[in-house]
Amino acid sequence: MAKYEKLIRATLLSCTMLSVMITVMVVASVFSETMRFFSNVSVFNFFFGTEWSPQTAIRPDQAGGSGTFGAVPVFLGTFLVTLIAMAVAAPLGLFSAIYLSVYASPRFRLWAKPVLEILAGVPSVVYGYFAVITMAPMLREFGETIGLSIASESALTAGTVMGIMITPYVMSISEDVISAVPKSLSMGSLAIGATESETVKKVILPAALPGIVSALLLGVSRGVGETMVVVMAAGMAANLTINPLESVTTATVQIMTLLVGDHEFDSDKTRAAFALGFSLFIMTLILNIVALIIVKKYRERYD
Amino acid sequence: MIKLFERRTRITVQRIKKKKSPFIYKSYSKKPKHTWLKKRKAAERRFRNAGLISILIAFLFLVSLVCNIVSSGYSAFTGTQIKLPITFQTELVEKGAYRKIVQNALLDLFQDVETRKEKRSLFMLISRNAPYELKSLIKQKPDLIGTKIDLWLPAASATSIFYKQRLLEESKRIGKINGDQAKWVTTLAQSQRTRLKFNMPFFKNGDSREAEQAGILASTIGSFFTILVCVLLAFPLGVATAIYLEEFAPRNWVTSIIEININNLAAVPSIIFGLLGLSIYLNFFGMPRSSSLVGGLVLALLILPVIVISTRNALHSVPQSIRDAAAALGATPTQVVFHHTLIYALPGVMTGVILGIARAFGETAPLLMIGMVAFIADAPQTITDPATTLPIQVFLWTNNPELGFVEKTAAAIMVLLGFMILINLCAVYVRKRFEIKW
Repeated sequence: MAKYEKLIRATLLSCTMLSVMITVMVVASVFSETMRFFSNVSVFNFFFGTEWSPQTAIRPDQAGGSGTFGAVPVFLGTFLVTLIAMAVAAPLGLFSAIYLSVYASPRFRLWAKPVLEILAGVPSVVYGYFAVITMAPMLREFGETIGLSIASESALTAGTVMGIMITPYVMSISEDVISAVPKSLSMGSLAIGATESETVKKVILPAALPGIVSALLLGVSRGVGETMVVVMAAGMAANLTINPLESVTTATVQIMTLLVGDHEFDSDKTRAAFALGFSLFIMTLILNIVALIIVKKYRERYD
Repeated sequence: MIKLFERRTRITVQRIKKKKSPFIYKSYSKKPKHTWLKKRKAAERRFRNAGLISILIAFLFLVSLVCNIVSSGYSAFTGTQIKLPITFQTELVEKGAYRKIVQNALLDLFQDVETRKEKRSLFMLISRNAPYELKSLIKQKPDLIGTKIDLWLPAASATSIFYKQRLLEESKRIGKINGDQAKWVTTLAQSQRTRLKFNMPFFKNGDSREAEQAGILASTIGSFFTILVCVLLAFPLGVATAIYLEEFAPRNWVTSIIEININNLAAVPSIIFGLLGLSIYLNFFGMPRSSSLVGGLVLALLILPVIVISTRNALHSVPQSIRDAAAALGATPTQVVFHHTLIYALPGVMTGVILGIARAFGETAPLLMIGMVAFIADAPQTITDPATTLPIQVFLWTNNPELGFVEKTAAAIMVLLGFMILINLCAVYVRKRFEIKW
């Protein structure tokens, strides 16, 4: 019997180790490729260069081969699209969360929450389709009527659709955070005659602020790592611009275009994708850890 | 304290002497009271409406998304067929010139067509697949050779779109069809030679260059194989990890590092897993590119943290008294877990697994990276065959500029969302039916 016991425990332990190994593997594999990339292309060029055209560099020793991996336009594009997405998702998600947790009748909440969460369950490729087929022509027509020329692969299109995609995510985290604020605080505020909106603004939001900040950070980290919407709706060419009406590219789009359908593996071109992926990984990791720390640190204040 | 009290009293007394009330609201008394209240109430209303409006915007988006997809996709579930008087002339059948047979039948119907250009646009009405259908028909019934019968043959996708939309006003049509073709289709329709039939090819074919023949069977089977590999790997691994962490692991820093590790894995962008699949599975282990085996392995990593976290939560919610009772009856620690705790936690575990499957089912990006974007016409037979999945099929068709693929894309999305709803309903059912409230 004891033998059995030990065997089962060992199996469980090895499964756990395997799961941990996977995490290590993810980091190690992407990291090693990134290091090989940086042995050919200088780190400075990658993070501060403003010209991104990896397709032209065939060999590192070629003329101009090392100068074309300036990732600034790519990161700027990622930043721009995510910013637009958050400009949509933050107010929508936050106000919906406030309405649902403060004003909505229990019956309304019972129906509205699952329906809004459907939005979170829709595969991202469907959002991409919507962005390409519906959103892009709609925005372009709208732009024409007010005299703006909006590129069909504009950052605005991708950002808006991505924002709607992130909204339910921001909403459900903020709602959890808001309902975690002790009832006694809001009751006290209401009892001294504040209206509900005053209670929300002066009492609940300040108390829930750390949680809301981390909800927004998690939203940003989702936006940065989101792939399909931008692959389908954003552009391929790296433009150094912060104009939301123009076409920009993002890190995920570049990883895709560099690696999909490409069979040769040992070139700077494909390793550049790993370098981008690694930066992406670090970025989202930092965002997530900061969000978690904020939540952990301030949650105990009311317990 | 007493001093303070005295001061207070003095002030109040002074106020009363000046005939001023001590109550604070009087300080606003220069304004009429109701404007002040009105302002606060207006702010209240504004705030409340902002919340309601943002919920409505989200609803509106959901509704427009669904309406959009359904309205452009429902028509793909029917295909147009045209009845042609086919003559199986013996010499043409022997030569295998089935295309000629179809063309002759069309010329039979429209005898006034003479120029080559006109003929070419006439032949475009019928699907390029029609000759192959005749060929297989002859193979089944060789006695048809030399006879003349009326047969229903699939129309080309442009014809089909025009036929389905011909009742719309001119400006709302999107089909690309020339004037002559429009006339012919109308004539065919008037002489009862056209019909709409349930679009079987959409459900029994793989991808195709011809929109009217393109179907989702190959990609659905690809999805199925991928999910199968993914679950077979992630389910035991995830549950075992969760059991160890929740029931056996000593509480020390190693365990907490492992926990942080797994929680962070859940937040890693899915495209990173694609990079991993590319560099480790394909490049290092040399597994077959584009296969559902590699796809499943990549997705398994993706849903592993989902399963671990939900299983741990489920195990955690089983009360300690169950464990104590089992142990008191002489069960060993593993017996406690496998005979009691895990059984009670099973509904929660299953819900987590089903939600993980839903996530894996809709995932696209990492699969694109390991080469599952191939053009797959035939359904994969084994897990090592090149395959594609349903979301990738949607992606491929969205990028296809040909008009006939627009409705196909929307229809494929409808099937995809249908599967999603089904999977989620399963999760809800399991939770509602089997969950134990402690």
